[in-house]
Amino acid sequence: MIEVKNAVKTFEGFRALDGADITVPDGGVYGLVGPNGAGKSTVIRHITGIYRPDSGEVLVEGEPVYENPAQKALLAAIPDDWYYFQSATVADMMRFYRGFYPAFDTARYERFKEVFAIPEKAVIRRLSKGMQKQVAFWLTMCCRPRYLILDEPVDGLDPVMRRQVWSIMMSDVAEHGTTVLVSSHNLRELEDVCDHVGIMNKGKVLIERSLNDLQENIVKLQAVWKPGEAPVLPKELEVLHISHVGRVYTYIVRGKAAEVTARLEPCGPLMLEALPLSLEEIFIYELGGEHYAVKEIIL
Amino acid sequence: MLTLNYRDSEPIYGQIKNGLKKLIVTGALAPGEKLPSVRSMAASLAINPNTIQRAYTELESDGFIHSIPGKGSFAGRRQDEADQDALRLEALLEKLRELVAELRYLNVTTAELMAVVEGGLNQ
Repeated sequence: MIEVKNAVKTFEGFRALDGADITVPDGGVYGLVGPNGAGKSTVIRHITGIYRPDSGEVLVEGEPVYENPAQKALLAAIPDDWYYFQSATVADMMRFYRGFYPAFDTARYERFKEVFAIPEKAVIRRLSKGMQKQVAFWLTMCCRPRYLILDEPVDGLDPVMRRQVWSIMMSDVAEHGTTVLVSSHNLRELEDVCDHVGIMNKGKVLIERSLNDLQENIVKLQAVWKPGEAPVLPKELEVLHISHVGRVYTYIVRGKAAEVTARLEPCGPLMLEALPLSLEEIFIYELGGEHYAVKEIIL
Repeated sequence: MLTLNYRDSEPIYGQIKNGLKKLIVTGALAPGEKLPSVRSMAASLAINPNTIQRAYTELESDGFIHSIPGKGSFAGRRQDEADQDALRLEALLEKLRELVAELRYLNVTTAELMAVVEGGLNQ
């Protein structure tokens, strides 16, 4: 389990983390989402033991991770900005990683040669950005980490490779119970792979829940009312958003689909349909309340 | 063996569940045939194994599949094929009801419908 408890981190007066709380359960795939500058990468650098929090705790299996080699050996990370040594080849870096990770799987490294199709003798810095990222996956997945920490992992990968690396990761989750923490803006993709989601904004975690829970507790309703009838919704419903095109009204309401529908039926709609929300829509509506929304600017 | 539609309002686990159910009721997955493991399914679709587990668990409680500990999941109920036929029958009748409703919407008369049915029976 990875736990971040009330972590605060200040950079020259700017509070990048402002009491962040995160719990990543074992065997879970946790998606960390949030607008740019929300503090996602800062949290990740705390979990990988690069930053020390000003206050609060960052624990991996109950132990602080900062300057703690035993805990760091359990986790492997692909940062958003990686580093390879000058003129190092894939094989050189493999030997480097093998020196640090006791569980490094050399047989797996050999098998992945076919998957990634990058010459082992290639100088990594001369490869394209996408290919460098493939090397990052190749080496990291061979470390057989118990915890895999990924900061925007699939950016720069082509669609086939994205699927390939997710496939490898999901098979590790199923077979070895690997715990994954992943930050990404690709919510469509996170929806497939994650079972837990944390939404961050301004250095805090606003919502942290299982994805099922999140999707079952917010509902999109489409309703058509009789012509000329101004729909008045029951007061006890927590409506996050209302929009309409012609007579078709779309409501975003907090609550379970069945309960909300039962509340609205007595109002006499001509048609009423409850639709599940995508993670992308949840993200937009949840943060909309935090004064963060797409501004309709016409240039 | 399954394709997921990401624009569908149906959640992913529901799509997997319905997809497998369809394969089972149409006989594409014969009773007793082994289903892919959760791990291989997660890898081939690149989705969370818990999602697949959820679909499998619901299919099992609905009686479309059964699992044998240590061996995996298999299509159909454990005992006999009678249940299978009942499932298939129900699915086909449901399909027929849907078709009739659709034809009704297109203003097909009862007489026309009956003629088609009789034609099919006499063949």
